[in-house]
Amino acid sequence: MKRRRMNQVPLFSSAGELANLVVTSNLTDISWAMILEFRRGQSALPCSVQPMVYDPTPNEPNRTIVVFAPSPDSTQYALSQGGDLVPCPEFDFLCTKGCPSVSINRAALTLFTPLYGHLSALKNKLNKREGQLIITGHSLGGSIASLFTLYLLSSMDKESKCRPICITFGSPLIGNFGLQHSHWNSFFVHVVSNKDPLPTLFLPSGRSAPTSSHSQATAYKPFGTYLLCSELGCACFDDPDLILKILTVASSEVAGGVLQVVDYGEILRNLKNRAICKGTQPVGERFAYPFSDGIVMELKTIGIDPAKHNIDITRMEAEARALAKKTNASDAKELNDIKKYMVMLEWYKKKSKEANKCYYDCFKNGDFQRDVRIEEFVGQLTTYWEDMVAQAERKPQKEGASFRTGWLQSATTFRRMVEPLDIAIFYRDGGRDYINNGRSPLYKLLQKLYDEAAKNPPDSKKKNVSVLLTDDSCFWAHVEESILSCQSLNHANSTPEQRESSWKNLVKFGEYVTKQIENFAVSPEIFLEQSTFMKWWRMYEASIDAFRNFYTSPLVNFMKSHKYDDYGLPEEA
Amino acid sequence: MEETVENLIIGLNDGVISPAASLAMEAHNSPSKLFLVKKIRHLSVVVLAFRGSMLPNDWFGQRGHSPFGETKIDTGKFPSVRSLNDGGDAVVNGSFLWRFNDVLDKLSHAKELKKAIEKKRQVVFAGYSSGGPIAILATLYFLENQTFSPRCLTFGSPLVGDRIFSHALRREGWSDYFTHFVMKYDIIPRIMLSPSSTEHEQILNYFKSKLDRKNINPAPPSGFYLTVMGNASSVASYEACHLMGCRNPSLDIIKSFIELSPYRPSGTYVFCTGNGNLVVVKNPNAVLQILIHCAELGESDAAEVEKRSLDEHSAYPNELKDSLGGMKAVVYLDVDPANDLGLSPQAMLCLQAAEEFENRRSRNLENIRTDRNYKEKIEDQLEKQRKYKENAQISRLGYYDSFKLQKEDADFHANVSRLELAEIWDEIKEMLKEFELPDDFEKKPEFIKLGTIYRRLVEPLDIANFYRHSKDKETGAYVISRGARPKRYRFIQCWLEHHEKKLFGSRSESLFWADVEQLGIDIEKKGYLQEIKDRIHQLERNLIACIGDRSLDDDVLLENSTFVKWWRALPLEYKSQSDRIDNLIREKAAGV
Repeated sequence: MKRRRMNQVPLFSSAGELANLVVTSNLTDISWAMILEFRRGQSALPCSVQPMVYDPTPNEPNRTIVVFAPSPDSTQYALSQGGDLVPCPEFDFLCTKGCPSVSINRAALTLFTPLYGHLSALKNKLNKREGQLIITGHSLGGSIASLFTLYLLSSMDKESKCRPICITFGSPLIGNFGLQHSHWNSFFVHVVSNKDPLPTLFLPSGRSAPTSSHSQATAYKPFGTYLLCSELGCACFDDPDLILKILTVASSEVAGGVLQVVDYGEILRNLKNRAICKGTQPVGERFAYPFSDGIVMELKTIGIDPAKHNIDITRMEAEARALAKKTNASDAKELNDIKKYMVMLEWYKKKSKEANKCYYDCFKNGDFQRDVRIEEFVGQLTTYWEDMVAQAERKPQKEGASFRTGWLQSATTFRRMVEPLDIAIFYRDGGRDYINNGRSPLYKLLQKLYDEAAKNPPDSKKKNVSVLLTDDSCFWAHVEESILSCQSLNHANSTPEQRESSWKNLVKFGEYVTKQIENFAVSPEIFLEQSTFMKWWRMYEASIDAFRNFYTSPLVNFMKSHKYDDYGLPEEA
Repeated sequence: MEETVENLIIGLNDGVISPAASLAMEAHNSPSKLFLVKKIRHLSVVVLAFRGSMLPNDWFGQRGHSPFGETKIDTGKFPSVRSLNDGGDAVVNGSFLWRFNDVLDKLSHAKELKKAIEKKRQVVFAGYSSGGPIAILATLYFLENQTFSPRCLTFGSPLVGDRIFSHALRREGWSDYFTHFVMKYDIIPRIMLSPSSTEHEQILNYFKSKLDRKNINPAPPSGFYLTVMGNASSVASYEACHLMGCRNPSLDIIKSFIELSPYRPSGTYVFCTGNGNLVVVKNPNAVLQILIHCAELGESDAAEVEKRSLDEHSAYPNELKDSLGGMKAVVYLDVDPANDLGLSPQAMLCLQAAEEFENRRSRNLENIRTDRNYKEKIEDQLEKQRKYKENAQISRLGYYDSFKLQKEDADFHANVSRLELAEIWDEIKEMLKEFELPDDFEKKPEFIKLGTIYRRLVEPLDIANFYRHSKDKETGAYVISRGARPKRYRFIQCWLEHHEKKLFGSRSESLFWADVEQLGIDIEKKGYLQEIKDRIHQLERNLIACIGDRSLDDDVLLENSTFVKWWRALPLEYKSQSDRIDNLIREKAAGV
C-alpha cells in the first residue's frame, strides 16, 4: 500500500516554464538585437563571414558579445555546398565512446574553415576575459557560433573566469556528435520556430539539398537545449531524440517548399507577450497526471500532437522519474558509502596482518570472511568505479579527461586494494596467466590512466612503507605465475625448453621484485612467513639449490640474508 | 471550508481588518506623521499605521547601485533572520530598511505603544503601499525582542525580503503573524520583482502626484505593464522550474546570465478577487505563482488591465469593507483557487508543483523520523559510540586517544560507525541546503538534541582521524580552515546556538580536541610565544567551563589522555589555572 503511494508521487514537466524564463529574460532579445545591429553595419561588405566582437560597455562592464552573421551571399553559397557530413579531425576532441570520429555538415564547414586562423586568435583573446560571453548567430551564422563555442570550450581550463553561452536562431543541425552526457551541453540554447525550414534543411524528411545522401543525414544529432516555438508559445527540450522528432515533424508541415525568411525578432516579441497572457484558455483545473498532462500541453503549444506523432510520454515520464531520484543528498550518500567500504577493506588487511598473514592470502583461503562481507564490498566498489569510468567515456575526450583527474587517485587506491583480491580468486580457481586471461577491462583502463597521468615517476622516498599498498596491483599475479614457473621447472615431465623458459621467467621476476623493493613499491606484508610470496621464495630457493647451484642475484642475496626483516622500517631503527 | 479572515490570522480579533485598512490609507495621506495610532476600544486592539513614500529613492535607494536596491539585513536587530546553514543572512530592500530604522526610535518611545503593551492590548502594525514594509520590519523587530507579539497587516505592500527572509519567518513560526492583502491586478505588490527602471519611476510618480493632490487626476502612465510583469514572470518561471524539479542543466547557465529580483513573498497572503471572495494562501511558493499568474492578461484587454493595475492600488478600504461585510474567505488547498482568481491551466500546474514541493518536504521529514535508515539508525549508532567510549575509559586512555591509535577491533568498529553517521547527517545537510525539509526542521528540539549529542560524541573522532592522518598539513588547522571541519558539525552547532540565543561560535565545545592538537603542533613549530600563551589560557577556561556544564565529557582528564600528558608537560608559567585543572584530573582519577 505504502509502496503504491510512493510510486504515485507526481512529477512535472518544466519545458514551458524554462522556455518562459528564457524569453522573458533579455538574453534572447539582446542576442537578436546584436545580430540586427551587426547586419545593419555589414551591408557595405557583401561577402563578409567574420564575426563581430562587441566589447563590454560602461553599462554592461561584464559582457562581451560575439555575433556570427555571414552575409546572405556567403550563406547562399555555403548552403549550395550541401549538408552532407564531412569528417572533421579538428573537432575530434568531441569524440566519445559512442562517436569515435566527428563529422560536421559541409555547409557549416564551408564558412568555418576559412575562418579557422582568425577564430583561433579570437579564441585565445576571449579565453582570458572575465565575465559573460554571449556567442550568437542566425541560420548558418548560428552553426559557426556553435562550432566556435565548442572550440572555445575545448581550450578553457577550470580556472577560466570566462562564462560563455551560445544562442542560435534558426540554425541547421551541425554534426554527428552528441553532448548528452557532457556539461558542455548546457552552454547551448537554440531558438527554432516551427515556421522555419532551415533548421531541418539537412534532415531526410525535409527538403534536403540534392547533394545530401540520406544515410548520412540521419546521423545528425542535436545537442544543447532547443527553445522550440510556434505562434502559440514555446517550450524547451534537451532530449536529442525528442528534438529530432519534433524538428522532423515541423519540417514536414512547413507550408510550401520555399525557404521563407523567419523574423525571430517578431517571434520573440510575440512570445514575450504570451508569457504574461493567460489567453482565452478555460480556467485551469487540477490535473490528475501533471507530468503527462503538462507535456501534452507543452507539445501542443509548439504544434505537435503527441498521439498523432507517436511520442512516447510514458517513457519520458519514466526517465524523468529515474532522474529525479538522483539528488545532491543521494550523491553525498553514495560517496560516503564508498569511503565506508574502503575502510572495511583496510581493516580486513590490518586484521590479516595481525594474524601474520597477507590480506591476499587470507582472502584466497577465505579467512575472516564472516567478520566482514568483503565480497559484497568489492562488488559495490567495482560497480561504482565501472560507473565512473563509463560516465567519463560518454563525455567528450577533453572534458572526460579532466573529470577523471578528479578521481584518479581514489581509483588508484581502489585498484591497488581490490585487484589483488580478484587475482586471489582467479588463481584459487585454477586460472593461468591472469594478466592476459583474467584482468577486467576496468583495471586495465584504470592502470592505463594512471600510467598516462604519472609522467613524473612517483617519488620513491622511503616513506612509512608499512601502511602502504603495493604499487603494482598485478604484483600477486606475477607471484602466482612464478610459482607456476617453479612447478614447471621441478616437474618431471617438463622438456628442457620448458625448463629454460621457466628459468628465464623466474630471473625476470627476480629482477622485477628487486626493482619494487628498491623503490619501496611493495608492502612489507609480502614477507610475512605464510604469504604466497614467501611460499614462492622457498620453492625458488629449493630450485636454485637443485638446478643452478651458486646462482645469485640481488634478490637472492636480499632474501637469503633476511634483509627483508628491516624492509620498510624507519631509518633510525 | 469557510471561515472569517480574522480567524485565519492567529490571535486577531474579528473586525480589525477594515479599520486597519482605513487607518493605513489615512497614514499614507498624512505626510507630517511617521505613523498614526488608533485604539479600537471595544476590541482592546491598538493599530499603528505607518506612512509610506512614493519617492523613487525611498524604494530603490541610489540608482545604479543595484537594480533591486537590496542589502543584507542588520542581524544585530534581526538576529533570527538568517539561514542556519550556508545560505547566509537574509537580504532586504535597503531603502525600506533605512526608513524602518528612521522610524524605530520614535516608535519605541511612542506612549501609545507602551501603554498598549502594559495593558496587554493586541498591537497591530499596519501599512499601505510602501508603509507595508515598515509595518513588516517593525513587527519582526518586536517578535525578535520577544517583548510582545504584534500582528502585521499590509495592504498593497511591495515585497521586502528574499527567500531566506521568508524561510527564517517560517522557521521561527512567525509567518502567521503577517497578513498581506493584495488586489488581483495591483501593480505595487509585484513591482519589486522587476529591476528599477524608468517604468518604475513613471508608476511611482503617478501615485506621488495623486498623493500630492497637485493634480487631482494625473494622466496614468502606459506601457509599463508588459515590462514589469514580464520581469516578474521571469522570477515566477525560474521558481516554477525548481518546484517542478527541472533537470535541464542549462537552467543554471541561463540564470547566471540574467539578473532576477531577489525578493520573494513571505507571510500569509489574502488575494482580493474582485468578486467579493478572498483567497487566503499561506505557502510562499504558491503565493509567488498566484501573484504573477492571477494578474495575467486576457486575450485583448492589455490597456484595460494596465489601468486596473494602477486603480486597484487605491481600492483596498472599499474592497475590504465589501469583502468582509459578511463575506467569507476561501482557503487555498481546501478549495481550488483557480476559479476565483481565473488562473490558467499552466498556472494551475505551477500551484500543484508548489503543493507537491511542500508535500515532499513533509514526506522527507516523516521519512527521517520513521524510516529505519535515519533517526533510528542514528540513535543505534550513537548507542554504539557511547559504549565504545565507556569501554575506552577502562584503559585510562579515553576514546579519543584510543580511536587515534586504531589498534583494537573496537576502534575500527567505531570508525565504521562514524562513517555511517556522517552519511546520514551529510544527507540531511544536503536536504537542508536544497530546502528539501520543512522550514522549521532546524528549530525542532528533537533534532537539535540528537544533533548535539552526535556532535559532542562523534566530532572528537573526526578530529582524531584528521590529526591521525596529519591532514592539517594539506588543509590547515581543523578549526580554522574552511575545508577541514565537516559542515555537518558547523550546521548542527548553529542550530544549538540559535536555539539558546547565543553568539555564533560560542558552542564549540566539540572542538576541544582540535584546539589541543593544534596547540601541540604550533608549539612544536613556533615555540612558546605570547599568542600561544593566550591560547593556552583560553583552552583552560574553556575546559573548566565545559566540564562544569557537562558539554564536554570528563574523560579528557584521564591519566593517559593526550591532553593530560601534554598539559603536564607544559611549563608552569604558561598555565593560569594549573591548580584547578590538576584538581579536576585528580578527581577524575579518584573516580569522584
